[in-house]
Amino acid sequence: MARWDVYEIPVDTGLFTPLGLQPSAVCRLGFNAAGSWLKEHAISHRTLIAGHHTGFVVWSAQLNFDKPVCYLDADSLELRVTGRVRGAGTQFECEVAIGEATRMWACCVPLRLDGDPALSGTAARMGADVLAAFLPDEVDPRPHLSPVPQLCAEVESDGRVLAQGRTQFVVHRHQCEVADQWFWPEAVSLVSCGREELARSHVGLRSGIATPLRRIDLLYNRPFFLFDEGAVVSTAYSWRERLVFVHNLQGIEGGRPRAIAVEQFDR
Amino acid sequence: MNVRVNGALLRFTDYRREIHVAAPTVGAALDRLADEYQPLRPVLFDRLGRLRATHKIFLNGEQLEAEQLGTPAGDADSVDLLLAISGG
Repeated sequence: MARWDVYEIPVDTGLFTPLGLQPSAVCRLGFNAAGSWLKEHAISHRTLIAGHHTGFVVWSAQLNFDKPVCYLDADSLELRVTGRVRGAGTQFECEVAIGEATRMWACCVPLRLDGDPALSGTAARMGADVLAAFLPDEVDPRPHLSPVPQLCAEVESDGRVLAQGRTQFVVHRHQCEVADQWFWPEAVSLVSCGREELARSHVGLRSGIATPLRRIDLLYNRPFFLFDEGAVVSTAYSWRERLVFVHNLQGIEGGRPRAIAVEQFDR
Repeated sequence: MNVRVNGALLRFTDYRREIHVAAPTVGAALDRLADEYQPLRPVLFDRLGRLRATHKIFLNGEQLEAEQLGTPAGDADSVDLLLAISGG
């Protein structure tokens, strides 16, 4: 049986907006919870890097907000977290529930680290030493497939374009993790900037700032690094009674987006 | 030639993004760069002195394979040094 951890954290005002939990805070809490689960039940993330030359890099993620959770609702939040291996050791997946109505799920790709101070690595299957730390019930041979390409295709073919915009950014160190590449929740913050800039200038998009996020799907192709310049290219759609924003995070080199995010709001 | 260093490597070049290096080939330029910025050497090269496979090298926008590092390059050429991904 898969192992779950349950614990509480005190709330603070910085975790929230007036509409509910900050999506980027959910990512940070969730990633931290996954690290706690790894340390408790498998191998700590630090030991994975330092002792097993294995890094985990988030490749795909989804946040669901079934009901808004607000700052004044409670003094603490309950976190429930589990982890599992997928795709015969080519993925590590974590699932985190925050309270009853917020869920985060993230799929990481293992990297074989080269042993240099920049923590450079290449995608590789987890070694037997790492796989041995998981129970049989925590190993699923089926790989996770990102829903983002299909979701984008459906929104783009069936949705009605409402507005488009472009918001430039530079990645600074406070947005980075230990290897001077962006910490993956920053994608959530950056696409929020793109959406809010669009909604500020288009009256028809106000639910994009006036109502809580219901769901966000993220796909990471390639990281941004310290001082990399980029832009969030945002398109708002009306799709299936929802307001949907498709965001492409582009580097200045152009070409394939380094990340894609799809945000959904009730209309 | 002008060597452009990307974000994750900047802390090993004292945060200099563009560095002029006088050398006859791309490989020689990387070696001189590692001489000038000592913390960069273990990042770029393994213990046998080979360029780590985790780095991608581009000469005037064209990617070079490891066996092409002997390609001659002059003052007007640009080399991009790119780290594809880090495991933090």
